Amino acid sequence: MNKFFILFLSLISIYGCESDDICPESALTTPQLIVTFYDMDNPEERKSVQSLGVYIIKNNGLILLNEINGINTDSITIPLRDDESVSNFKFCKDFSEDITVIPNGLPNHLYFDYEIDETFVSRACGFINNYNLSLALPYDPENTPSITNWISDVVILNNYVTNENQSHVKILH
Amino acid sequence: MKINRMLKFFISLISFLFINITLGNVSLKNDTIEKFGIRVGADIHKIIRSASNNDYTGFSFDADIRLKESIYISSEIGNEEKQINNYYINSTAKGNYLKFGAKFKLNKKDIGTQNITYSGLNIGFSGFNQTINSYTIYNTNSSTWGESIINEPINLNDLNALWFEILFGLKTEIINNLFLGFEIQLKNIISQKNTQEITNFYIPGFNRTYDSSGIGAGFSYTISYLIPVIKK
Repeated sequence: MNKFFILFLSLISIYGCESDDICPESALTTPQLIVTFYDMDNPEERKSVQSLGVYIIKNNGLILLNEINGINTDSITIPLRDDESVSNFKFCKDFSEDITVIPNGLPNHLYFDYEIDETFVSRACGFINNYNLSLALPYDPENTPSITNWISDVVILNNYVTNENQSHVKILH
Repeated sequence: MKINRMLKFFISLISFLFINITLGNVSLKNDTIEKFGIRVGADIHKIIRSASNNDYTGFSFDADIRLKESIYISSEIGNEEKQINNYYINSTAKGNYLKFGAKFKLNKKDIGTQNITYSGLNIGFSGFNQTINSYTIYNTNSSTWGESIINEPINLNDLNALWFEILFGLKTEIINNLFLGFEIQLKNIISQKNTQEITNFYIPGFNRTYDSSGIGAGFSYTISYLIPVIKK
């Protein structure tokens, strides 16, 4: 009887220690938007941007994205805004860390409009967002006339932003 | 409500069995059972927890009757409300539950004492609601835009769960007919209903749940009184 009791206690304590209250780093997280750059004269050809810097525009202020601060690249991942269904960015070409002017380099406004779809993941991590892109513009729709700078067009390749496996948006420049 | 119907069923079953047993036992001559009756009790641990924890309120009552010399049938009804919080989710589960089962006396050789050690099996059913009060969107890249905290509650109503539990416990008579009891339970979900694909974080009567399995655990401290019906 005692053995049974000890077995019982140990079983209970094993399950009591299970740690699914902590959201693991391996858990599925809110996906970012994948943007790829193409040549405006040859829209099927990838074309790198020289010294790209990306700012987010939040409450009329510009905040530089940490990872994108003057890199030469033909694809980037950028986070979308979770508390509103609209995100605004400034994509800056010829960005230089030495210059402290904001925005730095040659800026071009980027506007994304989307629906947010909350998806339950787990007890510890809660909900993540998936997005359904409805509109992407290379200018600020609130500013008239609409000015583009170095970007000629934005094309949505995949409306549903549910993972980071493929490009969602194509930028021609 | 479903639980009310189950309660009615259970009360009539108990009284039916009770009458049968009392009638049946009157004629027994060499019965070693000294006292016979219905033992009713309440969970002290739930009462203390309700008073000391802001995130919990609950109570439960239990009853058992002796079917044979070493077999008891028992039942428990209760109500619980529990808040489950972590960094990303704040939720509340609230509802009633009913358990029904059998206990087997392990200390069969101890004749002449009312103290029992027992193991047993219960079936539990709970009908409850879960509310996600507020939640933060999990986004590892939220450092620039900032975290999105949503305070619009999500109400998940008419949830239910069915489970079984293996239990082990003891009851000691501290004064005449008054018992203190301790019991631990290992449980496993048989079926549960959840909506919008959101996990049931807590099930009244079952306790907290785990994402990885349907296993759970619980314990109780009870105080109970044996209402003597037959005394030999």
